[in-house]
Amino acid sequence: MRYLMTTKAGGEAPDERLYEEMGKFVAELTASGVLLATGGLAPAHLKVASVGGEITVTDGPFAEAKEAVAGFALVEVRSEEEVIELAKRFRRIVGDGEGVIQQVF
Amino acid sequence: MGTVGADVGRTLDAVWKLEAARVVGALTRMVGDVGLAEELAQDTLVAALRQWPRDGVPDNPGAWLTTVAKRRAVDHLRRAKRTTALSAADEDQPHEPDAGADSADDVLRLVFLACHPVLPTAQRVALTLKLVCGLTTEEIARAFLVDTRTIADRVTSAKRALAERPPRAAGQLGSVREVIYLVFNEGYSATSGDDLLRPGLCHEALRLGRVLAELVPDDAEVHGLVALMELQASRSAARTGPDGEPVRLHEQDRGRWDPLHIRRGFTALLRARGSGPPGPYVLQAAIAACHAGARSAEDTDWAQIVSLYDALAHLVPTPVVRLNRAVAVGMAHGPEAGLALVDALADDLRDYHLLPSTRGDLLMRLGRAREAGREFERAAALTDNAAERAFLRRRADEAVTPVGRPLVDAATEFLARQDIDRATSRSYGQTLGRLRKAVGDRTPITALTEHDVLAMFTATWVQASAKTWNRHRAAMRSFCSWAGLPDLAATVDRRKEVKRSAPSVDVDRVWELVDVPVRERLLWTMLRESGAQVRAVLDLDVEQLDLAGRRAIGRSRVRWREDTARLLPVVLDGRTAGPVFLADRRPGPGRPPREGDLCPVTGRGRLSYERAEYLFKRATKAIDPTGAGFTLRLLRG
Repeated sequence: MRYLMTTKAGGEAPDERLYEEMGKFVAELTASGVLLATGGLAPAHLKVASVGGEITVTDGPFAEAKEAVAGFALVEVRSEEEVIELAKRFRRIVGDGEGVIQQVF
Repeated sequence: MGTVGADVGRTLDAVWKLEAARVVGALTRMVGDVGLAEELAQDTLVAALRQWPRDGVPDNPGAWLTTVAKRRAVDHLRRAKRTTALSAADEDQPHEPDAGADSADDVLRLVFLACHPVLPTAQRVALTLKLVCGLTTEEIARAFLVDTRTIADRVTSAKRALAERPPRAAGQLGSVREVIYLVFNEGYSATSGDDLLRPGLCHEALRLGRVLAELVPDDAEVHGLVALMELQASRSAARTGPDGEPVRLHEQDRGRWDPLHIRRGFTALLRARGSGPPGPYVLQAAIAACHAGARSAEDTDWAQIVSLYDALAHLVPTPVVRLNRAVAVGMAHGPEAGLALVDALADDLRDYHLLPSTRGDLLMRLGRAREAGREFERAAALTDNAAERAFLRRRADEAVTPVGRPLVDAATEFLARQDIDRATSRSYGQTLGRLRKAVGDRTPITALTEHDVLAMFTATWVQASAKTWNRHRAAMRSFCSWAGLPDLAATVDRRKEVKRSAPSVDVDRVWELVDVPVRERLLWTMLRESGAQVRAVLDLDVEQLDLAGRRAIGRSRVRWREDTARLLPVVLDGRTAGPVFLADRRPGPGRPPREGDLCPVTGRGRLSYERAEYLFKRATKAIDPTGAGFTLRLLRG
């Protein structure tokens, strides 16, 4: 089963230690064959909307920094419990904040 | 919103699967015996099951399991030392190893141990899934569709064998790859059971392969194995239909191939490059990559695939590899060439269901449907997988009575028959091509109706010559009879073909003549519309006429159209018996006619050929350039 884990911005500003720990975590997940893809998301974004068949592309509007999705990880796991455990491990590293887990099908 | 993941048992299971390889690997290093390590691991799990529901799941459950397991190992070593009374020196006690660089080595050692060549393959598989992947005995049994006892026995025997005869540290990478690919294949092309795909096993194998690729990054074949599995896994969603039936590679919807897996497969294949001649896994991955890279089935580079199979068959000259090569040759150089290679394998692969099913495919392409049907039937009897068996049965049925199949398949097969020559095949191809355009390629041939066919003929060839019309009609009828369908061209009338174009007589000017008696006009019109012989028309009796059906019933097959239908009642004038065409007067007493040639009402005789011909000649003298007048026969077209 595949899950997309996204995390919102916020929490403490990352320091050396956090970078190092995250690097280790990502390497470990890659090595164990769990992590399929991961990346950070820039705060700037374009909005593409269709209203009454007319498609418009606009800058923003930017949500509050805390609400913006800041990163994602696509993982392949055996069970929901497994992805929850991964999310907990991630949280223990990055500290307070929130994220979302969704199954990909 | 509820708090999810509160089920302690399932959380423990998930965490254990993440940690199993590292924990058991470390324990094995510490106590020097994989069997004992596994027992200690089980004790740890039991302790967790007792403690976690009571105290709650620890903050870092992975670390908890590792620590507790290692503590148990230390306790065990202490006890063992006391019993053997060797030494009680505390500094000999193994120190807490941190989960750093050692951990990878622990896992690699464990993998080599579990896949050790001294063990039979089935035991290697069971032990690997249990110790490295952390699967329970029940899970392994379920995945392989055997009972739990069997798996438990395999694990126990393997542990005993490894304890009695501790293998040297260096295991064989080849054996590890083999176990991983075996697990993958059991999941990917399940040989028994009801489902064609057991994704759990594929997933375990993929993860194991990815782990191994990180542990031994210099081994090209491990990357080849990962590439092969990734590329095959990319097709998982597309290779079974809605009812679980297999979908063949060339029929798969390539849009459903998983691009993420494909990309990972290509990446792994790139990592395998540049270290000597490619091994079997790299070659197989390269073949899979040929398929993955083809935009459509038609774009497949079969020549390249054949050359890769040549290299593979050189390294691994097994009958199965040669069979796959035969398939590729069949695609690259035609079914005949493929069939010759397959036939050479008949003795080696006597009980392998893919041999007859491959033969069936090739025979179908050669138009030998009946033989193909027998091969599919044989293949169905040889497979243990229910989905595959059902699929092969269906193909067998279709081969013998090709119904219900998409029009495009049936048409292709029909045209590929060897018993029709090239020109005929091309001509039939035009007919069926039109039909495919008219009703759609995927229409099952059983859904075709007479109406479809008639509509197509009227829309497409109504302006064409009678000869063209009849050619398409014949093609249609031939297709129907081959496919076991009723004659769908039954409502498409055969048209009268103009046999002679020279001398060019403009007999049609006859219709411009005025003052033609109605009897003559009927005769001429009927000859023109029916194309029947003059004598047959003159021989018609009133009783034979089916006025509504516009045809004559009886010996002579005469059909007509609206002009005849309009004139007939005028000429009949209420008569219900006797000849349709009557002479102008009663016969003289010297020449008594046959009874049937006499009109019971008027007593007049049947119009004779000679008389009718004479009248026609006389009427057409003026429009015949030769001045002799036309013969009735010309009217027939």
